[in-house]
Amino acid sequence: MSEPIIKVERLAYSYPRKELVLYDINFEVNKGEVLGIIGPNGAGKSTLCKALNGLVPHFYGGKYGGRVVVAGMEVLEHTVAELSTKVGIVFQDPEEQMSGLALTVWEEVAFGLMMLGFPKEEIVRRVDEAIKQVGLEGFEKRSPFELSGGQQQRLAIATVLAVKPDVLVLDEPTAQLDPIGKFEVFSVIKRLAAEGSTIVVVEHEIEELATFADNILLLDQGRVKAYGPARDVLTQVEKLKSLGVDPPSVTELTYLLNKELGANLEVPITLDEAIKIYAEALGVS
Amino acid sequence: MSAGISLLKRTAVEANTIFQRLDGRVKFLYFIWATVLVYIFYDPYLTLAFLIVTLAMAAYAKVFKPIAMTLLIIIVPWIILGVLILALPFGFPWNKTVIGYINVLGYRLPVYLEGLGWGITWPLRISVAISSALFFYLTTNQAKLVATLFKMKVPFKAIYMIIATFQFIPLLFDEANTIIQAQISRGLKTDVGVLQRIKNYLAVVIPLTISALNKVQTRAITLESRGFSAPVKKTFLYEARLTAADWAFLGIMAAVTVFLAWVYVTIGYSPVAHLQWIWA
Amino acid sequence: MSEPIIKVENLWYQYPESNFWALRGINLEIRRGELIALIGQNGGGKSTLAKNLNGLYKPTKGRVLVEGMDTKEVPTQEIVKRVGYVFQNPSHQIFESKVYDEVAYGPKNFGLSEDEIAERVEWALSLVGLQGYEDVHPYDLDYGKMKLLTVASVLAMKPDVLVLDEPTTGQDHRGRWILADLSKKLNREGFTIVTITHDMRYVAEVAKRTILIANGQIVMDGPTRKVLTALDILHKAAIKPPQVVQLAHALREKGIDAGDPLTVREALEEFKRLFKK
Repeated sequence: MSEPIIKVERLAYSYPRKELVLYDINFEVNKGEVLGIIGPNGAGKSTLCKALNGLVPHFYGGKYGGRVVVAGMEVLEHTVAELSTKVGIVFQDPEEQMSGLALTVWEEVAFGLMMLGFPKEEIVRRVDEAIKQVGLEGFEKRSPFELSGGQQQRLAIATVLAVKPDVLVLDEPTAQLDPIGKFEVFSVIKRLAAEGSTIVVVEHEIEELATFADNILLLDQGRVKAYGPARDVLTQVEKLKSLGVDPPSVTELTYLLNKELGANLEVPITLDEAIKIYAEALGVS
Repeated sequence: MSAGISLLKRTAVEANTIFQRLDGRVKFLYFIWATVLVYIFYDPYLTLAFLIVTLAMAAYAKVFKPIAMTLLIIIVPWIILGVLILALPFGFPWNKTVIGYINVLGYRLPVYLEGLGWGITWPLRISVAISSALFFYLTTNQAKLVATLFKMKVPFKAIYMIIATFQFIPLLFDEANTIIQAQISRGLKTDVGVLQRIKNYLAVVIPLTISALNKVQTRAITLESRGFSAPVKKTFLYEARLTAADWAFLGIMAAVTVFLAWVYVTIGYSPVAHLQWIWA
Repeated sequence: MSEPIIKVENLWYQYPESNFWALRGINLEIRRGELIALIGQNGGGKSTLAKNLNGLYKPTKGRVLVEGMDTKEVPTQEIVKRVGYVFQNPSHQIFESKVYDEVAYGPKNFGLSEDEIAERVEWALSLVGLQGYEDVHPYDLDYGKMKLLTVASVLAMKPDVLVLDEPTTGQDHRGRWILADLSKKLNREGFTIVTITHDMRYVAEVAKRTILIANGQIVMDGPTRKVLTALDILHKAAIKPPQVVQLAHALREKGIDAGDPLTVREALEEFKRLFKK
């Protein structure tokens, strides 16, 4: 087995003059894996994302313990700029991520590459490719500020993909979007996941997350409360509910049925699984 | 959104005429050059000539409308007011030459040449400055502008502040609009006395400031994460090199400068209108 | 049935300096005590409609009657007393340095006495469960509580109708349940509630009536169960119904009748029935 792309060991962190927001965090992400991070607001999910690209601690300062290694680089020893070619990060609010420097979608994607000093021909090639990956072909000449929320968020993903990072970190990428926007962004993430990208994604939309996450890390008050294969974590219904996190509806439903009826159904985490399980249990297939 | 704000919103569908292709530095120089020259001369005709040339170039470059709208909103009221106040007998000491009379509400009032010239020249000077500045801004591609400023060794943070400010002003106004609506929904009254007005002002400015600061921080984090501050040699897709057209434009400006210098020396500061320098 | 508290008659709306119709011919009656969800994609006209209900926007064509008053003829101040509007982003309205003052802002604008104001603030804070936080700085509250504060600050004006604009956006699951419970509680207390939302689990849990809006028009308007199970129409509007609705639908296509559950609770009852057979 090769070395994991992300290795977090005993990470602890506090913002300057504040209490600890992360305690003793340990996890690994291998190449091509998708890690979903779930948990209530204030659990430290965003802070953890920022610890992966060095914003924590380089941008914020504060107290830092433990070790984060991404693509062989120890985060503490490299600048955010150096890490930016290894870790691409996309935030929650689509409009706030537009650089404001570019007049068009094409330029917005190109800017990051220009700032990183890529050769010209390479920039042209990569921008076109990234725009295609997020399905924004035909929008190249549009102003980033004229796009819908979902399109802006895909553009933000494209600006990051163009750098070809080893890891893509998405911090609640669909939280501010309408249903179409959510659908568009999830489609892009699912496709990237299927194509073998390594992704860390924070999401409250657990029903969606369940369809593509390999592993899930449950965070609460700065501590890891559960970590493992998605199925193992999402089927711990009591634990999730006690922390105020809703498991997928079909998971909760089946868990309650088993409990209240004494049934012994296999517990699904996705709609498709649920349909199959229920159809079989109720005598059709 | 009011007209003044929507003017700043640029669309990406831009014309591509010779003026768009001129180097940003050349157009910036034109803005400074025209502004200074119309200030040195005190002649409405000459100033008008500068304005017409600028507007003609703007029209050719298909950016006439926003510039004209801005001038209409800012300058026209000013001219009307300025001319009235300055040209009519309100006792200004410089008013010496009567050029005619007008009837106002049955009074026959003298109109003075000096006041009229002053009242027209100042707004025209400002028009030249505004239109040439907008001409520069509206015809210069932002990416090229950034490249140009970089070449001029302007630090990246300064460039970012200049350019991003222009882009974010319209967004900030949208934001302010939402905040005002939120406060009106809580009974904010607009027809009130001074004290209450200050309180009203706070109800809008505080949320706006907090929201703007949050946005600035998010943007700083975003750009930082994308490696914008990476200490490498940046690539520019746009060569900031002066072309033949740039040199030709610079040549014309130089020739006009020489000609106007000769005019100033031989005829004076008001070659066409022969106005008296009213501070004299 | 009672006289509608809000009546929208053939409402057309255009933003100033735009020649695009954001709303095209909306007809709508809202009765006292209703609990309504407005759903649909952004840009479809939900917020524009809601802002026409409290007089922030005035109809370009047609009219809106709030308790019989034409919003075009009555000052906005009079309308906002009756139709309260809680904006999506709490930081768009919070500006005082104490929770108490923030809630008192609305009643103060109406020129109430100090005693009346104090009474209303306490009443509003206790409704949303923020009593005891009077002296806290609003920005020291977590995001969920900040949202509750903005609800309280609108409640303090004692409106008859409460418009909630995307209350659950940016909230975690616990925050969503708190807001769902609060919406139901306020409705029981007699408030008429109109919620703009993208959150179908919230809709399923809370709303009695649901209105789907797209392209400035009402696409569907009816009991929530009817709207959330109209899968074809929802699909066209690119809206995913709650997972249990999709499950019941898929099973029905396989010949299993699991009823029309909207929530996990309801689905549980349906499946208990099925499995017991």
